Parts: sequence; C-alpha cells; structure tokens
Amino acid sequence: MNLLASKDDLIRWLDSLLQERIVIAPVRVQEQTMFQPISKVEEIAFDFDNTTLSPKGWFLPPTEALFTVQRDDGQVNLVPALVERDAVVFGLHPCDARGIALMDSSFLQEPSDALYRERRSRTALIGLACRQALPECFCTSMGSAPDDPSHMDILLTEVKDGYIVQVVTEKGKALVPKGLAKYKGKVPTPPKLQAIPTMEVTSAMRGLFNDPYWERLADRCLHCNVCAYVCPTCYCFDVRDYSDKGKVERVRSWESCQSPGFSLTAGGYAPRTTKGERLRQRFSHKFLYFPERFRDVACVGCGRCVKACPVNIDIREVISDLQQLTEVKSGS
Amino acid sequence: MAIQLTPDIKLLSVELEDPDIRASFDYKPGQFALLSAFGEGEAPFGIVSLPQQRDGLEFAVRRIGTVTRALQELEPGDTLGVRGPFGNWFPLEDYEGKNIIIIGGGIGMAPLRPVINRILERRDNYQELLIINGARTPQDLVFQSEFPTWTKAPRTRLELTVDRGDEQWKGRVALVPDVVKELAPSPDNAIAIICGPPIMIRFTLAKLRNLGFKDNQIVTTLEAKMKCGLGKCARCNIGEKYVCQDGPVFTLEQISQFLEQP
Amino acid sequence: MDMELIQQIRDKARNLLEEGTVEGVIGYERASDGLTARPFFAYEPAAAERLIFDETCIHDLVKYLLDKKGKKMAIVVKPCDSRAINLLLNEEQIKRDKVFIIGVSCPGVVETSWNRRSETLQARCRTCQLSKPLVYDFLVGREVARQAEEETYSDITEAKAIANKEEFWLEQFGRCIRCYACRQVCPGCYCPVCFAERLEPLWVGIRIAPEENRVWQTMRTFHLAGRCIGCNECERVCPVDIPLSLLNRKLEKDVKELFAFQAGLDPEESPPFATFKKDEKLEFGA
Repeated sequence: MNLLASKDDLIRWLDSLLQERIVIAPVRVQEQTMFQPISKVEEIAFDFDNTTLSPKGWFLPPTEALFTVQRDDGQVNLVPALVERDAVVFGLHPCDARGIALMDSSFLQEPSDALYRERRSRTALIGLACRQALPECFCTSMGSAPDDPSHMDILLTEVKDGYIVQVVTEKGKALVPKGLAKYKGKVPTPPKLQAIPTMEVTSAMRGLFNDPYWERLADRCLHCNVCAYVCPTCYCFDVRDYSDKGKVERVRSWESCQSPGFSLTAGGYAPRTTKGERLRQRFSHKFLYFPERFRDVACVGCGRCVKACPVNIDIREVISDLQQLTEVKSGS
Repeated sequence: MAIQLTPDIKLLSVELEDPDIRASFDYKPGQFALLSAFGEGEAPFGIVSLPQQRDGLEFAVRRIGTVTRALQELEPGDTLGVRGPFGNWFPLEDYEGKNIIIIGGGIGMAPLRPVINRILERRDNYQELLIINGARTPQDLVFQSEFPTWTKAPRTRLELTVDRGDEQWKGRVALVPDVVKELAPSPDNAIAIICGPPIMIRFTLAKLRNLGFKDNQIVTTLEAKMKCGLGKCARCNIGEKYVCQDGPVFTLEQISQFLEQP
Repeated sequence: MDMELIQQIRDKARNLLEEGTVEGVIGYERASDGLTARPFFAYEPAAAERLIFDETCIHDLVKYLLDKKGKKMAIVVKPCDSRAINLLLNEEQIKRDKVFIIGVSCPGVVETSWNRRSETLQARCRTCQLSKPLVYDFLVGREVARQAEEETYSDITEAKAIANKEEFWLEQFGRCIRCYACRQVCPGCYCPVCFAERLEPLWVGIRIAPEENRVWQTMRTFHLAGRCIGCNECERVCPVDIPLSLLNRKLEKDVKELFAFQAGLDPEESPPFATFKKDEKLEFGA
C-alpha cells in the first residue's frame, strides 16, 4: 500500500528522524554530491543525479578504529569501538541499496563482522527511485532497476505532489510518520535503460581467465584505487595498529587490489606481478569469485566507475568484450 | 616464553588468558592463528604445537617485518593477541598406513613440526617416515632440540642438509631438491608433505614428479598476506581459493587447478 | 577533428609497426562515450586505424613509458607532454633511443570528463607558450603561432588571499580518499616504493583522515617541487575534485622565482633539488 508525503511532510519527517538518529543524506560539496551525515535537513540536496561515492562509506568507513588497547597494571584490555546511535541513510538509489545487500553477503556471513553488523542493524535505508537514467547507468542488466524497492526499508518515488512512500520492511513501517494519506495516483514509469548484453559473465570470466585480453586492457590502467573506492560493492580493506601518545588503536581503512602492496608479504612474495594480473583480480573477484561464494555478481550497474575512471576502463565494455571473446572461442 | 631457534627465528609459547578458552581451544596440524603485537599489527602464523601441549600454543616467528620484529621483542609475561584457529588442516587420518616424506626448508619446517609429532604420537598408524630438513647454514636449521627424538623414533629417518656448511658442520652440504633426488624415496603408497621457500618448492616438486609422485600425493601449505583470516577482506585469494578458508593446506593436484598460480 | 593530422598519425604509426621499428604505439582512441578520448596501445599495424587526435586528448601518456622499459615504443606527445619526456630523460628513467616521439602541434585541449566535453580551453593551455613539442622524432600538424596569455599565477594569488587557509585546505584534504590516482597518473611519481606505502619510517600510514591526507598531499607536492611539468593530470583524475593544481603551481611559481627554473624544458638541466653545485645560492631565510 502506497502513501503520499508532500515535500513539507518529508522535511518534517526527516527533521524528526534527525532528532534521534544520525541522518546520512546527499549533500552538495563543491560541484559534486556526496553522502554525508547532516546537521540540518536544509543541507540535503534532493535534486541530484548520483553521488560521486556510494553510501557504503557509512557501513564500511574509509577509516575506522576497530578497537583500542588499554593497559592497566600489565592487564591488557581490548575496548571495541561502539556504535553510538541509530542511523538512517536517506536518498540512496536502488543500485546502492543492492550494493549494500551484496556487501552484507560477505560481512554478515558467519563469523560476521561485529562492527559492520551492529551498524547495519541499527541503520534504516530510505531510498529514492530514479527519475532519470544517466548515460553510465546499467542497473537493469545487473539485477536492479530504477524503481526497485528491494533491500530498502522504504522507497520514495517523486511525483508532482511530493513523494510516494512505499513501505518495504517492518523496520521501514516503524519509521513512517502517522497521518500520511494513501496514494491513489499513478506510479511514474521508470526511465528506460540501455541493456548491455546479459550473459553468463561468470563462466565467461572463468573461460577467459588466461586470455591476453587482460594484459592489453591493463596497458592503460593506472592501478589507482578510484574504481574500487567509488564502487558500492568493493570492500577490501587493510588493517594496522597505531600507537599515538600511548594510545594503541587497531585501524581499518579502505584498500583495493590495485594497490601496489596489496598481496605483498613481508618476505617479499608478490603473487600478482603484471599489470594484467592485477587488473584482472578486480574483475574476477566481481564476476567469478564473489558469485561462486555468494550467488550474485558483485556489480550493481551504477556506472560510477565508468564515470570516474581516468582512462576509461568501462566495465560494460569489459562485460561485452568477455561475451564476444567467449563466442569467438566457442566458434559460434 | 620464547626460545631462540635460529638467529632470526624464535619459538613463542603462548598461554591463553581465559581458562575456559584455554581448555577448549582445539586445533589440528596445519591450522594457523593471527598473532597481534599490539601497537604494531597482526600476521598469520602456523600453530606448531599439538593441542593439550603443556607449554601452550607454540609459534615459530621469523623476524622479517615490523610485526614479526615486535613479536620477537616481547618479554616473557607480555601480552599478545591470538585469533584462531583458522584454515584447514593436514588430513592425517587419510595418510594412515602410508609412507610419509616430510620435506622442509628453513622456516618451512615450522608447520611440518606438528605433523611429525602427531605421526610420532601415533607411530604405529603410519609406515616409514622420512624427514628431510634443510636450511641455508647449520645455524639456520630449525627445531634442532627435537632432532634426537625424531632420529630415535622407530622406522624414522632424519636427513639434514645445508646450503653452506661451517667449520663444525660434518653433515651433508646440498640443496634440498638434490637431497630428494639422492635419497629417491619411492612414490608407492607414499605422501610427500613439503614446505619452504618458493624456489625450493619449485625444484623439489620437479624432483618428486621425476620420481613418479603424482600431484595428489604431494601436499603443501601456502602462505599469503592476510588481514582478517576469515574470508572477509578478500586479500589472500589465489584465484578462486581463499588461503585463509580453503587452505592453507592444498595438494598439488588442487593447486594445479587454481585459476591463478601461487 | 583535423582528419589530415589524424591520418598523418595513423600512417606513421602503421609504418613504424609494419617495419618493426617499435613494439607498440601509445596514442589515443575514442572513449566508450563516443565523445572524448582515452589512451590506446596499438601493437598491430591494423590497430593504427583506431588512433585519433583532437581537443579531448587531454591525457599525458608519458607515464606509460615507465611500464614499457626495455621495449622500444612510439608515443603521441603534445607540447606539454614533451616536458615530461625531458624530465624523465634528465632523471634517466627512459632512454632516448627507446622512444620514437610522434610530436603533435597541439592547439590546446578542452575541459572534459567522461561523456562531457566542453568548448573551454584548459587553463594551462591558455598560458602555454609551446607551439610544438620540445622533443620529437616526427612532427604532425600545422605549427601555428600561439597567442598565449601571460602566466600571472592569478589562481595562486587568489588562493593565497583565502581568509582561513588552514581551514580551507583541511576541508579539501578531508575529502581525499587516498586513491592515489594523482600519484599513479603523474609522470614525476615513479618511486618503486612510494613513501606513503612505507611502514618504516612511517610517514603517513593507512588512516584516511584530514591530518594524514595533509601529510600525503604536501609531501607529494614537495617531492615534485621543481619537477612538476604542469600537465594538470593530478587534478583531472582526482575523483573528489581537490584543487591539486594550486599546490603544484604554487611551488612551480616559487621555484621559478627562486631558481629561474622550470621543469622539463631542457633534458640536460636537472631540477634544482636534484643537484648540488658549489656555487649554490644559499642565502635563504638567513
């Protein structure tokens, strides 16, 4: 059953949420839009295409302390980081909600990541359906859609008089303010997206694992971390301890398989030495290893990497190339 | 407690603080734990003791980076962190009734030590045991205090070798692969378990295959840079296998089918 | 698009590949948006047909030569990029006889990003004095006398006038996610192990936070003092729009004033901080 919230209703609602919870919403930062905790509802950019970084940074922050080490008279205590307050991520598109669900597959699988699990269970997702598809979007080819309510607690769809409020989960139901009228109007047609050829990318990845394609593609790759960091589903991290003025913290930070020292051991053993092997790792993780463990391909079609890659390594092109090469190999 | 095994390798004995965890902490040869030197970081180490050993958990730590150095600098009584046990283990029950050839180079002997000791604990379940232990120099041979026990065990042969001898050394001076070739163990009803530096493994494998060992008769334990040890950070994978969960113990047959090669 | 220029590049590339003079040609091709350009490596003569050159060819391709050491490669080079070649020749990172330089007389490139192509000439092009590359083996394009604006470093003057600079820059660095794209794209950043990756000594560490980011950014800038050739790639590739050109251009301006030196103009002249002469100017800040 759909409800209708006017723009004013929505602002009041977000304001009341802000009293008790952290609200993470799209905010205009210079020329870009980023998900950030807000202090006032006025900070929210309701009108935006897509954010530069995904909202995964709320659940897996670029940097966080996992625990601190306290020493009292020779007794060592590990004090875990606390999740202080409940939160709401507002304004995320269906692709990003799916991205969080994919990250859940790994982080919530037993033994689950305690900090992620805590924050995840105490955060509600109020999503926003997409009014338009951007040139880089291909969510419909990757299991999502501009109006897909899956993995959210509430989905809002903008209409002339405000927003259609679609409650998806019990958690969402508890958040909806009282007094909203039922929505009896039409639900807008979602924008159409260009489909990239859907195919068995997992088996194509396996079949082309040793193909010279990867070295060629990696020629122009800079092996920076941009694609992994803007991606809603990349989640590799590094962990190190830091001592600062007697305080010892175990810190977890973003890292990606493209980093130079990613798999380098202290003894000097480096398994991936060529650019092609390094670049291939990202695609094989997304298209092959992740689905083999967790069923779904780890890409939601948000297109952020397409937009952000400084040398235009386009994941849609890679998927399409893999299909073409597979067809050529099988002689079809 | 720490014992200096070689100039750069120390054996750390760790007693778990919580008595309940200490009593219930069970593991098998081949598994590893992540040791934390608080303030420095964490790294994976094979557990080289056997469960219920009086000295607690033992780890052989080679000084090679910041974490290993910090672990070696710990004094008796200091606290470190232990997470584990992780990974799979050597399926020693499957090797019962077979001849076992253990081939270790340098610190590679560490994960093989509990295998040897478990076999010696249940000696009658196994046939001939050949241990080839190599190192760069005589000082670098690991577990020297256990050599007498290993030598004296029934149907057990310990062959030592070094790349470079010294004035006192009267033993063999040869590379491990050449020793394998010289001793020419038979592949009949045999399992070869091998661990050491990559180059030693590569050449030893060639010799074993020449002797007729099939890839499913050769077992090794792989290392990788690890952070979580639980299959979360996706860093330790070799192809589709996570060393921390699917390994670290693999047969050569399994490894040959990996998408990436270690 | 100047089809004549493009054909010259294609013909030369094809020729070099057919004769085996080079193992590959590093140039540009059309990107997946059908609008802008991206780096392209041609290894077969037929692939030369994919090469293009237009005002969206903003990338500095010289960095890629460092991945191809030991192989003879041809490379399409704009005047600004040729300064990077001179820098790397001077610092002995590439050998002159291993590079065949296809120089392009470039009228300037525009502001672009994926699927977005403006008509605005990049700021660095407006003040560029070079009508053709400083070093090349083969020149394409008509050499047109440039009507360059004078370099007044007005952006630096503006930045210096910001009221609370500390706050401004910490806020900029606060957005940095340490993707290191700036380092990876920069032809001057080629240390086998970057200081930021080192644990001993620990300069930066892995924490991604404003103070650590500040150390990263300022140290990188200082490592480029007197070496930055002003290609502006760092600012272009930054996913969170940090105005990195301000940092590098500030030091470029200072080095020009203090040492009368600009990087990459002469492969024989080493950057000031890489040289020591007995008659050095030593009386700073006395």
